[in-house]
Order: sequence, then C-alpha cells, then structure tokens
Amino acid sequence: MLLKIENVTKGFGAVKAVDGVSFDIHEGEIVGLIGPNGAGKTTLTNLISGLYKADGGRIDFLGTNIVGLPQFKICHLGISRTYQIPQPFPDLTAIANVVVGVLCGKHRINLSFGDALLEASHCLETVGLFGKRNVLAKDLTLFELRTLELARALATTPKLMIIDEVMAGLNPGQSLRAVRLIRRLKEEYRLTILWIEHVMKVITEASDRIEVLNYGKKIAEGPPKTVMNDPIVIGAYLGKKYARSRKA
Amino acid sequence: MVKIEHKRARFVFRLGDLKLEWTIEPRYWRNHFIAIALLILLILGLSGKPDLLSLITTANIYACIAIPLAWQMTGTGRMNFGPQLFVGIGGFTAALASIYWGWNPWQSLFLTILVSLLFALLLSRLTVIAKGLYFSLITLLLPLIFLEFTNIFNRVFRGETGLSGIAHIIDVGDIGRNYLLGCLMSLGLMLVFLYVVDKVLRSRWGVYAAAINDNENVANMLGLNINRYKIVTFTMTSVMIGIAGWFAAHYFGTFAGVTYLPLQFMLKVLLVVMIGGRGEIYGCVVGAYFVALLEHFLTRIGPIHYILFPFILLLLLLALPEGLYGLYRRHRYKEYYPTLKVRKREI
Repeated sequence: MLLKIENVTKGFGAVKAVDGVSFDIHEGEIVGLIGPNGAGKTTLTNLISGLYKADGGRIDFLGTNIVGLPQFKICHLGISRTYQIPQPFPDLTAIANVVVGVLCGKHRINLSFGDALLEASHCLETVGLFGKRNVLAKDLTLFELRTLELARALATTPKLMIIDEVMAGLNPGQSLRAVRLIRRLKEEYRLTILWIEHVMKVITEASDRIEVLNYGKKIAEGPPKTVMNDPIVIGAYLGKKYARSRKA
Repeated sequence: MVKIEHKRARFVFRLGDLKLEWTIEPRYWRNHFIAIALLILLILGLSGKPDLLSLITTANIYACIAIPLAWQMTGTGRMNFGPQLFVGIGGFTAALASIYWGWNPWQSLFLTILVSLLFALLLSRLTVIAKGLYFSLITLLLPLIFLEFTNIFNRVFRGETGLSGIAHIIDVGDIGRNYLLGCLMSLGLMLVFLYVVDKVLRSRWGVYAAAINDNENVANMLGLNINRYKIVTFTMTSVMIGIAGWFAAHYFGTFAGVTYLPLQFMLKVLLVVMIGGRGEIYGCVVGAYFVALLEHFLTRIGPIHYILFPFILLLLLLALPEGLYGLYRRHRYKEYYPTLKVRKREI
C-alpha cells in the first residue's frame, strides 16, 4: 500500500472541511477524488502534501506518518502535486521552473547543475513543452501552464502525483490531450495518481477507483460505474429530489 | 610570449595554455574587464582631487551595501528597509575595536565579521517568522532602535558627534596617495562583492533564490527547504553589508550613528537598489554612482536632497518598478536569474 489515510480531520473555525476521511491508495492506481464544490477535495490534497496540518488522524505514506512533516520533506518522500490554479514561478523561464523541481526534489547524489538542466529538458520534452523552454512562465497559455505544472511535479521524481483539477478552463481538445498525457506519464514513470476532477466523463474513463466527498465526509467509493450510479452520489451532485425521482 | 591571432570577427590571445578571445564587433562587447579598466582609469585620472576620489569611494560603498541587499531581497523574498543596521554594526565594531583596543583594520575586519555574523544569525529568524509588510516594518525600526541605543550609551558610541580617530584603511604617509589607494580598495571591495554575488546568483543558489522570490510555498512544495536558504542568505548578505560598514569606518576615520543609521541613509540605499532594479546587481553599481553624483551636485544647491530623494524613490516605485537600469534591460529577461539555454540536438 502506498498511501493510507485514516480518519483524517481538518477544521477551519466551526467549519469541518475534512471530517473523518479514510481510504487507501495502492501502487500503480489512478484514484479519482470527486465531490461537489466545497466538498473538501483540495483541503484533503493540501493535507496530504503538507500545506495544512491535520487536526486528527493519520496519513501514512510508505509506512511513514507524514502528518506534521514540512512540505519539502513530504516531497522528498515522493509526493508531488499540481495546483487547481496554476502556480508557476512567473519570472522564471519554463526550463528554470522545472530545474527547481529537479534540484530540490528527491535527493540525487552528485547531481550537477548541467545534469539538472538535462533532466529538466527531458521532463519538458515528455510533456511537449521543450519548444517553449526559454519562454517566461508568465507568457505561457493556460494549457501550457498545466503541462508545465505536470513537468515540474514529474521533475521531483514522485511516487504519488496529486493532480488537482487539471481540466479546469481547458477546451475539449486540450482536455483530451491532457488525459492522454497523464496516462502516458503514469505508464512511463510508473506513477500512482490521485486525481481530483470535476469533469465526470474524464474521471470515470481515466480512473481505476473513485472516492467521493461531500461536506468533508466520504460518501462513496468503488469502481467508477458503481459510484456514478450510487443514489447518494447523485443526490450530492443533483439534489436528493432528483435522485429519488431517478430511482422511481 | 603572448601570441595574437586574428580569426574571423575575433582576436585570440594565447599565453601558454591560457586563451582569451576578443570579439571585434562592439555589440558583442559584454566584457566586464572594459568596465573595470575604465573605472580604474577614471580613479587614476582623478588622483590629486581628493573630493572626487571620496565621491567615487562613497559610490563604491553604496554599491557594496546595495549588491548584497539586492541578493537578500531576492533570496528571502522580502523587502529589507533597514540595511543600514548592519552598516552600523560593522562600522561601530570596527570603530570601537580601533579606538579602544588599538586594533588595525585587518584585525577589526575579523571582529566585524564575527559580530555581524552573530547579529545576522540572531535576526535571521525574522525572515521565517515575519512576512511582507511586517518584515519591512521590523527592519525599518531596528536601525532606529540602534540609533537610540547609541544615543543612550553616548559615552561609548558618542551618539551625537560620532567616533573619530579610527585607524585609516591605508596609510602610506602621503594624504593624496592615501585617498587614491583607499578609492582603489573600495573599488576592489565592490568588485569582489559583485563577483561573489554574481557567481552565487548564476549557480543553483540563484535558482533557489528566484524560486523563493516568486513563490516560496510552491518552492517548498517542490522540495526546497526555504527556511534554511532564507536564513543562510540573510546571514551572508548581512555580513557583507557589515563589511561595507567596516570599510566606511576605516576609510573616513570617523563613524557616527547619526550619519548611517537614520532613514535618510536608508532612502539613499533603497534609491540605489531601485534605480538598479530589484535584484539587479549590475544595476546597483549604476545606481550607486548615479545617487552619489546626484547627492554631490545637489548638496551645492542646498539640503534639497532630503525632499528630492524620497520623491525620486516614490516615482521609481510607482512608474518604474524595474528601475532606471530596467529601462535598458526591458527587452531582456531578468539578469539575476541564471540564463539557462538548452539547444535541441538535431538528429
């Protein structure tokens, strides 16, 4: 087992953003994490990546409890993420953005600056952004920024990659390219992926298993088709009235 | 024997295994040696004019403060409004060691580095605790607190008049030569600072500094121990600023808190950095000479620079955040980030 989340809770004042969530992720899986707006998906990813500290519960990554560890140590263990709203280093070129990931990510012995550049070039080429290597990140388009985030996350040599709403703001053609790219990355780099997504069509096709959150609690889990037909999930997205009428 | 070859569009100079290429076309002349040679020639040309030599020395001291400050601002991602604190710490350490213990400049340099290092380590935690405006406010207040401290302990620091009788940085018996050699030493110090900071910013440390400056949370997420790098950057740059204070104390032979610690001096240093553009170390040199010359000409008119300097700073902050030097560099990417060029190999 790669990641084991046990009874994790996180509150902001009176609001419980994540409330006793538990699930496991096995090596080589693509796990989808879905839920309506405000369900606590991004908070959960922030808890896993170490941006927030969980109020309670355990998050075990390869047998190590990572709750309370600083973000950089969690990255060194092998967890990397992308952001819902791309957060590049705007005044750095695309290749420099990725070089940060190579140099700071998982520790590699005798990694020279030149080696790091070479590896960053390879990551950029994998996501198809090598042609824009010397363009400032702030001058890239949204799709390019999303692929840059993937390249940067890849550069840290992760075992688990958390992808946060990569489809947001992309047109259908770009979405298709992004899905193909993520699948290719998974195969080529033997990644395990926790994928948060709003686009149901994409997540049901791409993921092996889906976890559903609503108001911070886990309401369903299982294979995509089972989850999509679950009345509780339909109720959470479209209202209980609709779920009942569909059942009838 | 130096062999000179004329190749296509360039001269090649060879001395044993050493090889130096000189591109003939002026637009490729980005050789730092030209600038250094011009500055040395300027200084030698001004020998016998101590006021102008002092002006150049002052400009070099401003640059010595601004260059590490530019690195600090990038490497910590924070705006330090009190760089003069370490000028004060360095200067007073040198002055006190020289006056009370009779230490020569090189002995006091060692002590200055130690004391600056101690204070820098104590204060470096601020870069982790305080963010944005709070960091700026705290750093703004610290030199003023130190100034009050020098006034309270007037017997030691001579707060009002300043400490005088500090051993000169160089004494060859002739005042004219002392000025000339002191000026050349200030240039040497400035060039050492420039070289060190340039080397650092062009290494992987430059990438870390740029990442922290742009978005420290993302840098942390990518595996960078940002606290460690911010602390190290703050400490190293503060020690460098302390050394600038040491030089000022030993060059002028006097050191007063009222000269270096108040807001007016901070404004000058910030103006140097802002003219150069935030994070532009070569711009700092341009800015330092610009401010020193401006100050020199304005003092003839009267104490107008008290109003004019903040006004220029405000204008620059609003209209030209990249600085005056940034106008020249506008078409280029920021120089303080390492230029990473990778060419795709044709197969």
